[in-house]
Amino acid sequence: MTAAAPLSRPVYLLALRRLLSGRRFIVLALLALVPAIAATGFAAAGEIEPELFWARLVQRLVIPTVIAFIAVVIGASAVGDEREDGTILYLASTPLPRLTIMASTIAAAWTVTLGLTVPALLLPGLIALGGEADGPLLAWPAAGAALAALCYCAVAAWLAMVVRRPVVIGVLYILLWEGSIATFAASADRFSIAAYGRAVAVEGVIDVNAPGTSAAAAIAILVAVATVATWWAAGRMRRTELP
Amino acid sequence: MSALVFDGVSRWYGDTVALADITFALAPGVTGLLGHNGAGKSTALKLGAGFTRPSAGSVRVLGQDLSASPAAYRRLGIAHDRDALWPFLTARATVALCARLRGARDPEAAAGRALAEVGLAEVADRRVGGFSHGMRQRVKLAQALAHEPELLLLDEPLNGLDPAQRRHIVELIMRLGDEGRTVLVSSHVLHEVERMAPRVLVLVNGHLVASGATPAIRDLIAERPRSIRLRADDARGLGRELIGAGLVESVRFEDGAMVVEAGDVERLGRELPRLARDAGVRLRRMEPVGDDLESVYAYLNERARGVGR
Repeated sequence: MTAAAPLSRPVYLLALRRLLSGRRFIVLALLALVPAIAATGFAAAGEIEPELFWARLVQRLVIPTVIAFIAVVIGASAVGDEREDGTILYLASTPLPRLTIMASTIAAAWTVTLGLTVPALLLPGLIALGGEADGPLLAWPAAGAALAALCYCAVAAWLAMVVRRPVVIGVLYILLWEGSIATFAASADRFSIAAYGRAVAVEGVIDVNAPGTSAAAAIAILVAVATVATWWAAGRMRRTELP
Repeated sequence: MSALVFDGVSRWYGDTVALADITFALAPGVTGLLGHNGAGKSTALKLGAGFTRPSAGSVRVLGQDLSASPAAYRRLGIAHDRDALWPFLTARATVALCARLRGARDPEAAAGRALAEVGLAEVADRRVGGFSHGMRQRVKLAQALAHEPELLLLDEPLNGLDPAQRRHIVELIMRLGDEGRTVLVSSHVLHEVERMAPRVLVLVNGHLVASGATPAIRDLIAERPRSIRLRADDARGLGRELIGAGLVESVRFEDGAMVVEAGDVERLGRELPRLARDAGVRLRRMEPVGDDLESVYAYLNERARGVGR
């Protein structure tokens, strides 16, 4: 494998096109609007501190549920659809390094997820905080969500190379591990992507549900996991028998 | 140097042997890969395409091992048997994308040329999602040849085509061979392969049972003894006459009909009516038994075993 794997523009654009076409994207876009709807409801009721509400929204809904789910579905589909349809054969029969193919596909999945992060995170932020919205209050949650999204996309893409139903496995991980086990067994947080995303987010918002990890360490871990998952997915593409 | 070399290649899946100890080296021009469904044609092509690795032996594609370096894909064109295309792309975009990924200098022009070659120039700007099976088949062929590869692996490229399209694609494949490219075309239909490939490899149950010039293989198949089922009012009498005249090698009775085995079917067909008339036997029905490809392959397989394979 070449050490430097530049991205391939045609592969990136192809994956982007695939992810944006079809009903799935519309469904995910609707899901991305849920936090904004919640924020609108709160703004109308106005019962708690906006900053506390915003902190809870980011750490309990946006990062661990909405972004996690969107990123897993998109990351898994970016690779899984190519495998399922058999079109991965056209990508495989090219002189491109497998790492380039995989990294470009994951980059496209991340781009689409980031596109949905705007309505999923910034929109409810502006609604919830109103006039109090300032840079760090929005920027750190956005950074946490973006990095968690990258990590989810890469891991889901790897899952799509390894198992038949990557979305099911990914959603089970989000619900059972991150959403249940990690909430009462604190050390399980160490294997939770969302927890590291929250660790970054709380640099800017009140800590309501974040692990003790520093933001710097969390960023390093998220990037490292995404890199390893991409690498593994590429290795898997080289070894797996294609349909 | 041969563009595709299999050296003692076996591929097994668990207990199932898909290919057993296959050795061949392709010469430039068209070679047919003949075998019934499940004989190992697709596995052999997959190995050549680098989509799976041999369990034993080695596959060299254009002198390289594809699993070590994908560079050779620049010079390799593959039309696989799966009906897979990106439904949201037009035919032109599909072929241009594949050509671009494989390093063609002017992918758009290459796509236009390849689509014209397969007879899809007029629908090039329509999405392949709405294409018929035959059109999709030709898009797959166009993407395989757009980047002008030296080696082409085509898995059943005539499937789903109507007779006129078949003729057109057969001519195209022959032209590719005449240009000096190495083309391996799989098919389960002998006469189809016969039309385009001067050489043929015959696979039976994962074994390479015959390889060589297509006419020679054709003769080999034609020479095998055939079973013929005869119905006549005095079948036993007719059987005696047939054996007496040396027209058949054996006679047996099955469900009230007589089954004879003949080495020279044509001669039997010529002389049978006269023989029956002379013997005063009324011949009611005459039909070949097991004249399908399956039995042809089974015969070749047995014959191959007989010579110590």
